[in-house]
Amino acid sequence: MPVLSVAGGGNGHKLDPVSIDLEDKVSLQRGATIFVNYCLSCHSAAYMRYNRLAKDLKFSDDPKESEKFVAKNMLFAADKIGDLMKAAMPIEDAKDWFGVAPPDLTLLARYRGPDWIYTYLRSFYLDEKSPSGWNNTVFENVAMPHVLYEWQGTQKAYFTKNEEGVKVFDRFEMIKSGTKSPQDFDKDMRDLTNFFVYLGEPSQLKRQRVGWYVLLFLALFLVVTYFLKKEYWKDVH
Amino acid sequence: MQSLLEWVDARFPLLKVWNEHLAEYYAPKNFNFWYYFGSLAILMLVLQIFSGIFLTIHYKPDVGLAFASVEYIMRDVPWGWFIRYLHSTGASAFFIVIYLHMFRALLYGSHRGPRELVWIMGMVIFVALMAESFMGYLLPWGNMSYWGAQVIINLFDAIPVIGPGLSEWIRGDFVISDATLNRFFAFHVAAVPLVLVILVFMHIVALHRVGSNNPDGIEIKENKGADGIPLDGIPFHPYYTVKDIVAVVVFLIVLSSVLFFAPELGGWFLEHDNFTPANVLQTPPEIVPLWYFTPYYSILRACTPDYMIYLSIFVGIVGAMTLFSARNIMVKAVAVVTPLILIVGFYTLEAKFWGVVAMGVSIMVFFALPWLDRSTVKSIRYRGWMYKTALGIFVVTFLVLGYLGTQPPEGLYKALAQIGTLIYFAFFAFMPWYSQIDKTKPVPERVT
Amino acid sequence: MSTNGVDKKRRRFLVNLTAGVGAVGSGFAVAPFVMSMTPSERAKAAGAPVEVDISKLEPGQLLTVKWRGKPVWLLNRTPVMMDSLKGLADILEDPESTDAEQPTYAKGIARAIKPELLVVVGLCTHLGCSPDKKLEAGAGAGLGADWPGGFFCPCHGSKFDLSGRVYKNVPAPRNLPVPPYSFKSDTEIVLGIDQKEGVA
Repeated sequence: MPVLSVAGGGNGHKLDPVSIDLEDKVSLQRGATIFVNYCLSCHSAAYMRYNRLAKDLKFSDDPKESEKFVAKNMLFAADKIGDLMKAAMPIEDAKDWFGVAPPDLTLLARYRGPDWIYTYLRSFYLDEKSPSGWNNTVFENVAMPHVLYEWQGTQKAYFTKNEEGVKVFDRFEMIKSGTKSPQDFDKDMRDLTNFFVYLGEPSQLKRQRVGWYVLLFLALFLVVTYFLKKEYWKDVH
Repeated sequence: MQSLLEWVDARFPLLKVWNEHLAEYYAPKNFNFWYYFGSLAILMLVLQIFSGIFLTIHYKPDVGLAFASVEYIMRDVPWGWFIRYLHSTGASAFFIVIYLHMFRALLYGSHRGPRELVWIMGMVIFVALMAESFMGYLLPWGNMSYWGAQVIINLFDAIPVIGPGLSEWIRGDFVISDATLNRFFAFHVAAVPLVLVILVFMHIVALHRVGSNNPDGIEIKENKGADGIPLDGIPFHPYYTVKDIVAVVVFLIVLSSVLFFAPELGGWFLEHDNFTPANVLQTPPEIVPLWYFTPYYSILRACTPDYMIYLSIFVGIVGAMTLFSARNIMVKAVAVVTPLILIVGFYTLEAKFWGVVAMGVSIMVFFALPWLDRSTVKSIRYRGWMYKTALGIFVVTFLVLGYLGTQPPEGLYKALAQIGTLIYFAFFAFMPWYSQIDKTKPVPERVT
Repeated sequence: MSTNGVDKKRRRFLVNLTAGVGAVGSGFAVAPFVMSMTPSERAKAAGAPVEVDISKLEPGQLLTVKWRGKPVWLLNRTPVMMDSLKGLADILEDPESTDAEQPTYAKGIARAIKPELLVVVGLCTHLGCSPDKKLEAGAGAGLGADWPGGFFCPCHGSKFDLSGRVYKNVPAPRNLPVPPYSFKSDTEIVLGIDQKEGVA
């Protein structure tokens, strides 16, 4: 991920905290839908399989129906439900258009953290100096244009200078409203971020569930072994 | 069953080994908390080898496939995430156990005679373990894997004359590449584990030859009953086996808590920058080794040109003290010549080189501990305030250096790391004096 | 240290209990490792059902398709070939193909859903070589003048007829396996999904 690594949040935009809830299947489904429709055309999630999505996100209570749903509504860039989530656009084309290949997003949440993603998605602003016409306050000179500007609307960023004379982000001003209210847009971006956290490690809910059983068993075993030790150590004075 | 055992025993010394190392190996009865970590280290070795074998089944040592194969394990292999997290959490757990195991020796003088060889073998295990984890860290082929290996291998460049050739030889290429990945894989999964297992075996055999030390630092073999059994000894089996099992369960509870609920441990056990594939054009903003290397990494970075004056003063003082306290004329000569050579070297060779030397010495100096410690007693229980204070300061320094190693070496952090480096070396360099003049308490005849 | 007055029963009980619980724990601990060696999601995805278009398969033609990494033969049998299947009962091991481990539509002489279309896994049931196709009857196949057409395994000489039925007294013990398959339409079959019972 060459581009992402340069991003520093250099002009002091504080990251907005986002609440993550992987049990919230409706949020994850909504996030997945946005992801497949808007991100997957350029970005890949090449370590993830569609059928895993169907299994974990439970678009229907019946696993087969869930798979059918994914096959019907999400399989734009693949032909089989067991395929990896590759981008619809070939990498070479993407390089020509944006100057860099759009990075794979499977592990974005593990690399950047959810707060960064949530803030980044909502921090695009107009910038005539940028080739795409867009810039981002947490990712300076990002190559990606604001894909969701119709939803969010168009905003301008205002900067001030701090004591050391460094340019610092001050505030956004909406110059043209989008089709969604700010609240709805934030909620959508929260769902998308939630999905990214799931995407980074699909097994995390199972991991925690198994963890409780393991700890329960070990606690039981601890009692047994403790009594065994106590019994034998009666001999030692 | 009995006859089968007899059949085997006639052909293999099963009973003899069982008795010598378990049923009739007499360990002091006063082992405390610090004595669990030997058994736990063996447990960790077994867990790492076991989980490692299963990772090897699915992993691909190829720069084009390695990163994806780790994600394949995390997602597509049934229970692969468990095996991978066991291995990654286990690596850190292994080091925690080993550090505590080593600290125990510093507490109770377990490295002192007649256990010098046990200590040396243990130190060789420690160095092998560092090599093992360093090479293992390249295998996921994340961006931190790549740049971490790049930085550490470039250290060898600093060695005069042979350096550049040596680092190329280690990499097998002019940069970290497929050749490097392949050889690190071979060493990580075959060569070093084999060496580790043999060394651990020797470590235990040597220990059982001289017998275990204990928190009182006295030799239980000096007080034997009429039956020839140490009065303060109890058979390792069943007493310490049942005791260690409890420790194993407690340890597994801690390990599982991390493994199942926080396998990244906030970036300390799995670094965020390693969740993006190796990129030869883009260094992560801050290269940080995993936590168990950071104290030495701090020492490495502390050695800048402006630091040489302090190092010169330091070796000057140590040389002068040796000169005045040594009786042997040869030692006196060495005490004069060595600091002079070092000081000339500090100002003629690059500071980078001395950073590498300092880092190397900071690890290797542990080998000399049995001979640096001149106290008449072994256990900290009967030592005076000097050793207690020195050890306390050393532990704090080690932890502070560890933290500083994860931070950018600038300003206050850099100054602290430089002061910490001097304290680190002072603990060892002045030990022959402070351990000797330290007031000791009388040591009891029998364990308490 | 003294071992006087030890409650041996209690000790034995605690040892057994620890061993028992420990064994259960070890079992659970080993299970993930054992399961990690079963086919992964990637293997399952690669072994997913395969759709085959048979509209261009002329009578007498054989099409080889890869399914789960194995060669599957689709043979459109001519009336002559169908006739050759009859009257072989004496020289075949299992002429009615009653072996239990195969879909029900693989029983009988034709061993197929649509009688003329044979679908079999082209791997010898002896040790897994892929037999040669000797579809032509007669001496031309080099298997004697009375060869009715079929398959011949070069590894150990096993012979099969045009329904994949194995001959008597050859190393291969069973008829060539028929994979689960179904007709999606008249001209399209799906390998890996059973005609009635769903995914195999």
